[in-house]
Amino acid sequence: MLTQSAHAASDRALIPGYRQPAHDKAGDWLRQCVVFVGVCAIVLPIFWITLTAFKLPKDVYSLSAAFNFTVTLENLRTVFEHPWNLGSKIVNSLVVATSTVLLAIPMATMAAYAFSRFEFRFKKTIFLVVIASQFIPAAVIVLPYFLMFKQLGMLDTRSALVLVNMSIVLPYAVWMMKGFIDAVPVEIEESAMVDGAHRARVIWEIVVPTALPGIITAAVFCFTLTWNEFLFALIISKQDALTLPIGLIGFRTERGDLWELMAAGGILITAPMFILSLLVQKQFIQSLTAGSVR
Amino acid sequence: MKRWPVHWLLLAPALLFVGAMALFPLGYSLILSFREWKLAKTSVVGEFVGLQNYVDLLTDDPDFFEALRATCIFVTADVLVTVAVSLGAALLLHRAGRLNSLARTLLILPFVMSPALIGISFRFFLNAEYGVLASAVAAVFPSMKDTVWLADSTLAMIAVVASDVWHWAPYMTLMILGGLASIPSETQEAARVDGAGSWAVFRDITWPQLMPVVAVVMVLKTVFALKAFDTIFTLTSGGPGNATKTLAYFVYEQGFNYYDMGYAAASAYVLTAILLVLAGFYLRLVFGKAR
Repeated sequence: MLTQSAHAASDRALIPGYRQPAHDKAGDWLRQCVVFVGVCAIVLPIFWITLTAFKLPKDVYSLSAAFNFTVTLENLRTVFEHPWNLGSKIVNSLVVATSTVLLAIPMATMAAYAFSRFEFRFKKTIFLVVIASQFIPAAVIVLPYFLMFKQLGMLDTRSALVLVNMSIVLPYAVWMMKGFIDAVPVEIEESAMVDGAHRARVIWEIVVPTALPGIITAAVFCFTLTWNEFLFALIISKQDALTLPIGLIGFRTERGDLWELMAAGGILITAPMFILSLLVQKQFIQSLTAGSVR
Repeated sequence: MKRWPVHWLLLAPALLFVGAMALFPLGYSLILSFREWKLAKTSVVGEFVGLQNYVDLLTDDPDFFEALRATCIFVTADVLVTVAVSLGAALLLHRAGRLNSLARTLLILPFVMSPALIGISFRFFLNAEYGVLASAVAAVFPSMKDTVWLADSTLAMIAVVASDVWHWAPYMTLMILGGLASIPSETQEAARVDGAGSWAVFRDITWPQLMPVVAVVMVLKTVFALKAFDTIFTLTSGGPGNATKTLAYFVYEQGFNYYDMGYAAASAYVLTAILLVLAGFYLRLVFGKAR
């Protein structure tokens, strides 16, 4: 369907005598200028934070040293030292995000497979309840979680953060994965089943490899959400289980905001996400937009 | 014993988890909202007070009404600006071109950035002495020189909205681009060949087909705006005064600054009620027509 219409468009461009209307030329130029401004709006803040991370404090607090400054790696070193210890926060963030993804993705894949391939009673209702649970405001579930973890002595532990983050990402993951599994043709599975393969083997050997790009996309999405999660970490972690986003607000001290250290921490929290998202960009964008065009 | 159907076995882990970790707390919060419980004084759940928390909230708390007011202003401004920006950006970027494809690639970056970091960064950019954005604005409007952005209620609200738009508009642009890509281009081309202008093509052909997607974007953005916390916390902490203290922030403050659990739960439930109504809207928009 899509490729067909793309062909039709390019065919028309080849029709002799079909030319772009002349008034579009000036319009095109104007449009490109607007796009350029938009690109700057996205890039410049990121660029500015990056520059700040490599500046000495005296250059941070003066606009005249915007581009003319001494490059230093001092900030990137300082944030790993006492009292900031971003190293342990990176480890916490990594452990929490990785465990969340490793637990949530298999559960989501199984559930998504069931939603995609089976007909059963209350299917639509159950699916809608799962999706609707994304809309529950964090504020309302954070109170019971806090009290529950307090009771269980699990405050300030990574396990508590993993549980909480799973409850956030699981509905998204089920939803995304269902879209990917819907796209896997059911015929191969059926012929394998006819040959006597067990359902578990079909899922593991046919569905998972075929839907792998989708699974990776969902995993990256869940990793990103968990990596950046702020409110729950703020409430549940106190000292041992602090994650990177909470580490960032530690640079707000009585002596004022230590911008150059915040910027250095900012690079550490952002760079992995940029790399991950650019790696899986194509599928990532497709699945992000799935919610609007289903 | 009858064997369980496969699909229930596959669904069980996810459903049990969602049930235990999302629906159970929802119920627990409701119970909590009917009780008095000041966690700072006692760690035991207090007595049943019926609707007292809700009554207090709605009749005797100016802060709550300020939070409602801030929420209305924030959500309205945020949704309108985000939708306008992302719709415009999507229409621009839908065309082919090297700059456009670069821009489409960059759209993903703000979305994967930590909202907490975005809030911190905007605080830095808006600093009165050495903030790069504050200086840029002052260069264009000399009357804004020496303005302390985050000390002014209106400007602080503008800053919060701007940082949230920066975070979300690129993602929403991607969603609308997805919608645009699904509109067959033949009708547009045909209309153009027949001499219809760009505006006429947009109004009569593109917009009617794109509207459902824009509606979804609008509802989703409203939900995200109602839930917004990270950027507000790191950018203004709800200040100055209560100027940028939205409901989500209000709940956090009641629960974890004042440790008034019952009261926090009641205010959280007001927010939940609003969100669940919107969830209904959203689900009907996305899934309603498919069946």
